[in-house]
Amino acid sequence: MTAGTVLLLLLPVLAIFSLSQRRRLSAVIGMGLLSLVFAATYLFSHAPDVAITETAIGAALVTFTYVLAIRKTGRLVLVCDEAPRLVSREGGKIVGLEEEILAGFARELGLDLVVRIVPRDDVSAVLGRGEADIGGGGIIGEVRDKAELATVGFLPSALYRVSGGRMSDVKHRTEEEYFEDTLEAIRERRPVSATLDLARFLAASRLNLSGYTVERVEGEFSYCFLVSPDQPELLSQLNAYLERLTKSNEMERLIGRYMS
Amino acid sequence: MKHTAIVIFAILLVSGFCMLLFLTSGYHGARGSADNPYLAAGAAETGAVNLVTGIYLNYRLYDSLFELLVFSIAVLGVRFYLNADESQKPSVVRIAESPVVRIAADLLFGPIVMIGLYLIVFGHLSPGGGFSGGAVGGTGLLLCAAALGAEVVARRFHEQIIEQIEWGILLVILLFAIVPVLFGYTPLSDLLPPGRLGTLLSGGTIPIYNVLIGIKVFIGTWVVIYSFIHHRGEI
Repeated sequence: MTAGTVLLLLLPVLAIFSLSQRRRLSAVIGMGLLSLVFAATYLFSHAPDVAITETAIGAALVTFTYVLAIRKTGRLVLVCDEAPRLVSREGGKIVGLEEEILAGFARELGLDLVVRIVPRDDVSAVLGRGEADIGGGGIIGEVRDKAELATVGFLPSALYRVSGGRMSDVKHRTEEEYFEDTLEAIRERRPVSATLDLARFLAASRLNLSGYTVERVEGEFSYCFLVSPDQPELLSQLNAYLERLTKSNEMERLIGRYMS
Repeated sequence: MKHTAIVIFAILLVSGFCMLLFLTSGYHGARGSADNPYLAAGAAETGAVNLVTGIYLNYRLYDSLFELLVFSIAVLGVRFYLNADESQKPSVVRIAESPVVRIAADLLFGPIVMIGLYLIVFGHLSPGGGFSGGAVGGTGLLLCAAALGAEVVARRFHEQIIEQIEWGILLVILLFAIVPVLFGYTPLSDLLPPGRLGTLLSGGTIPIYNVLIGIKVFIGTWVVIYSFIHHRGEI
């Protein structure tokens, strides 16, 4: 078997490889390889000129252009504030229930999940500007903005209002932006006034909450995701995905893993 | 585990291509045979060792001129449609690039442009020519634009001037093609002597066309890439 035959056999293998990839980047890399093998085939067919052009255009320019395009479009951007157990940083990685659900969802769409951490109040603004696809991090269905589209709830939750602290420090009260800042404030016994969802409240209650007033907000709440208002079709896809997870008991397994 | 698999795959890939280079190192292009009239007469008539260039820049120069015209119109179309709506044009945002890309661009840009120039200038002697050499150079510019930011590269190429050069070259090629008429020959005929076979200054007008086409394709590739980047707002 000559080298030329090996290359010819490689062509359909690489073509099928690129077609069968779910991740777009892998597919594009497969196409670049296919192009290189094509160039080698041309070389063996005594057409070095064509081989050079194929390498320059097919393997280099086209692959490069695709990679640049994928950098912008091939990702699913989750914008959120940290919420323990839902989305949180742990040793340079982002882990949690929401991260795992959305990573699976992104894999199904052939996208890569990218998480951007912003202050909780900025989540809807970032979504509204179209800079992210999905908002998360302990979003409660009740308090959503009208501008975004919220998915169905996937996990029951509760809201707690935490307020108080030494009133003499009222002037020094800083604006809490990230959940980390709220925790920091409670740790330093500074005045706090925040409405926390169950996951955040559980994390906060590990600290010493004496001196703060804690009241449970009446009503039924559940966690959900927000979807960018420009992408109503993404909402129905995500809803269908959540429903499928719930039906197949996969959701129960995930919740058990992160919440117990 | 996954990491190890990727490393093994990369090593296999690189060694595979090294083997390919090794297998093809003794390869010297298509050999002429006496029973093929093109191969036998081509080199003698055109003065180009690379018969492919000999054919498309001498025997079939007429076709190649139209090919160049098609390329020019494609570039013009990209420019026209992507720059049409100036009001919606976002400002070009610079993304911080990873050190890997920046260093790779620094290291590779010189060699890539060098290879492009080599392919253009030696187009009549070895595989290559204006079209592929220009495209190789344009790819080098794209790499540079990705690493340094498109605006940095664009500032070095003054848009107005390169546009004039691009269309000027097309005009020069077309005028050059009808010069033989002044001397009583048919247009597109090669008046320069073929020269000594295998030397740099041989092949009559072929090297001149190669250089002109090479510059044109180089600029055209950059114009297309820059229009795309500019229209999208970022690279």
